[in-house]
Amino acid sequence: MKRIRGIGAIALAGVAALALTSCSQGSATRDSGDGEGGAVTLQFQSLSDQPATQAAVKKVVDSWNSENPDVQVEIIQAGWDGTYDKLITQFTGGTAPDIIHFEASSIASFAADGYLADLSDLIDPDLKSDISDGIWDSVTVGDEIIAYPSTLQSYMAFANADLLEQAGVEVPTGDSMTWDELAEIAKATTTAEHKGLGWGLASPTATMMSLSLGFDGGYFSGEGEDAKIEVGDDELAVPERIHEMAYTDQSLDLTSLTQSGSDVLASFYGGKVAMTVQGSFQVTNIAKDAPEGFNWVALPPIEGSAGALQAANPQTYSVNVDSEHVDESAEFLNYFMSADNLAEIAYADALIPSSGEARAALEEMAADNPAWTQVLASGEGLEGPPFLKADKYTEWKDTIATPAFQQYLADKISKEQLATQLSDGWADIAG
Amino acid sequence: MMTRRPWYATVLMYAGLAFFLAFLGFPLVWLVSASFKSSQELNSLAVNLIPAQWDFSNYAAALERQNLIPAAANSLLVSVATMIITVLLSMPMAYALARLQGKLRAAGTIWILTSQVFPSILIIIPLFLLLRTISLNDTLLGLILVYVTFTMPFTLWMLQGYVAAIPVELEEAAEMDGANRFTILRRVVLPLLAPGLVATAMFTFVSAWNEFFLALVLLQSPELYTLPIALRSFLGAEGQTQLGPLAAGAVLATIPSLIIFGILQKKLTGGMLAGAVKG
Repeated sequence: MKRIRGIGAIALAGVAALALTSCSQGSATRDSGDGEGGAVTLQFQSLSDQPATQAAVKKVVDSWNSENPDVQVEIIQAGWDGTYDKLITQFTGGTAPDIIHFEASSIASFAADGYLADLSDLIDPDLKSDISDGIWDSVTVGDEIIAYPSTLQSYMAFANADLLEQAGVEVPTGDSMTWDELAEIAKATTTAEHKGLGWGLASPTATMMSLSLGFDGGYFSGEGEDAKIEVGDDELAVPERIHEMAYTDQSLDLTSLTQSGSDVLASFYGGKVAMTVQGSFQVTNIAKDAPEGFNWVALPPIEGSAGALQAANPQTYSVNVDSEHVDESAEFLNYFMSADNLAEIAYADALIPSSGEARAALEEMAADNPAWTQVLASGEGLEGPPFLKADKYTEWKDTIATPAFQQYLADKISKEQLATQLSDGWADIAG
Repeated sequence: MMTRRPWYATVLMYAGLAFFLAFLGFPLVWLVSASFKSSQELNSLAVNLIPAQWDFSNYAAALERQNLIPAAANSLLVSVATMIITVLLSMPMAYALARLQGKLRAAGTIWILTSQVFPSILIIIPLFLLLRTISLNDTLLGLILVYVTFTMPFTLWMLQGYVAAIPVELEEAAEMDGANRFTILRRVVLPLLAPGLVATAMFTFVSAWNEFFLALVLLQSPELYTLPIALRSFLGAEGQTQLGPLAAGAVLATIPSLIIFGILQKKLTGGMLAGAVKG
């Protein structure tokens, strides 16, 4: 009997909880629009994940809000994980925010589906001319610019200066460093105790696609559904060199190939590898997390036969095509992207700003950190990669390219088999 | 006549049990350990169970940065409400499913099994549009209704197994004594079903407590975020993870779940014994 009374009480509590829930929340369908006194409120979905970056973004938004009482911006803080699914649902349901933070490779499909506004005529002309054509290319779909490209990352090598010195290797200091130099240093610093290079390539496709541009390895030509793949010597130059360091020279730590970039940092700090290739954003993590007295340097950008080129896959800010305030959103983004604002956000996030003026401002801000000089230098070679134009790239990357590169890096398949898997896989997916 | 178990068998049994407990408990111990380590120690090759230097800043960072306490309150509200509604609805339905014969039962069984086949990603857009139409997207009430819908088939399946295990003769005896259907349910079935109800409640609570994807898509206002959504904020682009604050947040997120388990588990044991004596 007691138990039944208990269940009754629980049921009552449940009904009360539900009543409270529905009363307190009500309908929360979010529509941007005119707020009090006719002010426009723009919803800005930000994905900034580092506390310092969130603070920098908030500072810019607060400053805009105080200068523009008629157009108020409201930050909706979100995270990277699951964002694509969330956005596709919001776009379909007509509840997407006005301003959307994401990355170039992921928004191309939203643009193709017609969810993003054409910003070509709304971008500040000075800003437009201050960002390279290659970077604009990464956010251009058809003849429409569908996002403001803000910050970028590159791949760069970091070295344990003490281990290089022990091996009698001089730290490279030029404008760039060739793949041959990287391989030589890796070989020279390999001993019984440690390997010359640790490279976290558990998810290798993005790295391969990006660095292959340094050998003119574009993989794709054409756009949209007509994109074609070509996997030749240029495309395979990067995987081949990595494979050679791992299996022929044995200067690359095999374990690291199955780890993420961040995982390899522990081996780097612990002196198990003399160098590591990482995303440039790791520069601040290394400065923060490396053991006291750890003597590290950032090496010059890695150069292939075509130069120190890498793929630009910038973080982007787009405007929802269904927003009632596309013009106001673009005005805010022009302000958001101004040199000082962008430099502060990029510095907080350890990323490379897209505009020249912001890069110059950042160079001043980071003058006391020599590693930043190399990070900014690596940004000079960033250009819009062909894969951003290929529909179904993401599907190919996840289902074909990643397992194929993983098998090659594990020495399970030959270079020829890798080429076949990549090409045939694309043919299957793209039809 | 009972034979006495040899001493070495007892030792082996306890050793096996200790090993099993250590195996199960290790992830939690490691999580607690990680939550007290500095980012330098977390990024070193040293494998210490006891942190070299106790660092409490991860807890402060977890609580300050991602509004974990409001998120925990939202999670608790959603999980408890889901648990209560699911159990209340499942109880009569499971009884009907277990005791009824014929085509209706078969159809019900097929419906339950079929509904388990679809991944949530397939139906999330229609669901979102439906909730928007009734102005329940971006509300905790909408999320609760969705959780109930998603959990119900499995809890129903689970609970009807418990009902089927109750001998029908007990109900017949009560009927002979003049009890009506409602009295039989209240006085005979419900007490014997208690362990099943508790198990179902635990399952439903944990499912709702841990659910990430539906909450991510259906909730847009940061003040409505549940714990998994708040914890996800420690994961950044390019695989960057703020490991210390994430571990601290995960430890804090585990506490309410452990408390609920602690309370319900006692009822589960009690209910099982009660059922055994009566059976």
